Amino acid sequence: MLAPRFLRPESSDEAVELLRSFEGAAKVVAGSTAMTIMLRQGLIEPDALIYVGGLPGLREIHEEDSRLRVGALCTHREVELSAEVRAVLPILAYTFGTVANVRVRNAATVGGVVAEADYASDPPAVLLGLGADVITTSPSGERRRPLLSFYRSFYETELDFDELIVAIDVPIPPSGTYAVYEKYVSRASEDRPCVGVFASAQFYGGLFHNVRIAIGAASETPQHVPAIDRAGDESDLRASVIGEIAEAYAEQTDTLDDMRGSSWYRKEMIRVWVRRALERVREDAYASPSPSRSSSIPDEMPRRDQ
Amino acid sequence: MEGEVGTNVVGEALEVSFVLNGRATTVRARTHHTLVDVLRDQEHLYGVREGCGVGMCGACTVLVDGEPQSGCLILAVSAEGREITTVEGLEDASGELSDIQDAFVRHTAFQCSYCTSGFLLATKRLLEEIPDASPHEVKTYLAGNLCRCGSYMKILAAVTDLLERRRTVALAPTKEDA
Repeated sequence: MLAPRFLRPESSDEAVELLRSFEGAAKVVAGSTAMTIMLRQGLIEPDALIYVGGLPGLREIHEEDSRLRVGALCTHREVELSAEVRAVLPILAYTFGTVANVRVRNAATVGGVVAEADYASDPPAVLLGLGADVITTSPSGERRRPLLSFYRSFYETELDFDELIVAIDVPIPPSGTYAVYEKYVSRASEDRPCVGVFASAQFYGGLFHNVRIAIGAASETPQHVPAIDRAGDESDLRASVIGEIAEAYAEQTDTLDDMRGSSWYRKEMIRVWVRRALERVREDAYASPSPSRSSSIPDEMPRRDQ
Repeated sequence: MEGEVGTNVVGEALEVSFVLNGRATTVRARTHHTLVDVLRDQEHLYGVREGCGVGMCGACTVLVDGEPQSGCLILAVSAEGREITTVEGLEDASGELSDIQDAFVRHTAFQCSYCTSGFLLATKRLLEEIPDASPHEVKTYLAGNLCRCGSYMKILAAVTDLLERRRTVALAPTKEDA
């Protein structure tokens, strides 16, 4: 195997021009945690790697108009520990903190995990459940797409070969929203999920509103079906309502087989973990009926003193 | 862009410069070489070990600009300008072991020791990051480093000891105070 060329553009504009010139034969690399494995195992043979790790302006996190914009080059660890993310979207900080281990989180980027479309990654399902948009740039200009129509199939996205993700843009849930992410691992604690379930709902007037579920790691792409979630709106999320939602996701998800579980087993686990996730949302809401901002704060969030 | 710094043609090696254990270093790497490859093969730093090769075991842990990362997942060509620390960089100039290494020795926090350099480097950052880490936080932080001999309890004892000693040193009156 010939080693691919390694190119270091100095700006996003230069990066996307390079991508265009290779017409799909180049790959973008930043944290390189996934790319290195694929290269070494011979799963991909690009002509060139376009290294964007040091590009300016892609590593900022900021809140504006009830949305949180996270730069594509922020590492998982930066999202996990960011005071800003923890204040407005603690579920996002928690989810990025469940990925792999400290070392991988110090390198792997937000843009990378979204673009790779690895079905077994945690963040895509949670971002989908939160209703995030992907913002990209290309020689044709900037584009915004909802994550809901971004994932096409197994490791495939709608990204054109000359497009570079510059940020994700996440709506901050309204006050009184409770969100959880349940990562179910079937083998070892350090493993990737067999099934990951995001659930959130807003609680006021004694009822739940705007119920949102997303399922990750169970099928080729993360699943979010608003028509199913609507069964929980204006309800008290009693057992029968939760059961109906869990059953519908188990039934409708086209689950896959791998070493973490068979297709049949994953359907069973979707049923179980959607129920548990919604039960947690309900319990959190009853336990503290008016959170100050959004989302219940997960237990044992890691911290950094300096 | 041929010939510019940081670019190469297909199959060719690239010169990559970084600071290694405090010393300016230049290696030659092809695009698919990992940091583990160049540190072992060109710099002869055999404390950097490859275990799983997929970022899960921690045997290849290095500090990149002070933060633990998996050397097996870093493309050597992307290390340009970084500050890399390996276990060989923990002892001081006279060869005196660091307090971290000393604690692991005193607690015999290893058996075969293949994983030890990774644990030492992860512990270095843990102590800086969370100086008052609880046992739970130590376990969570080090969860990504695997020890197949099962020395976990002794490693936990060594790290707990370190946390206590560093706190004691930090609280001790200085000569000026006395």
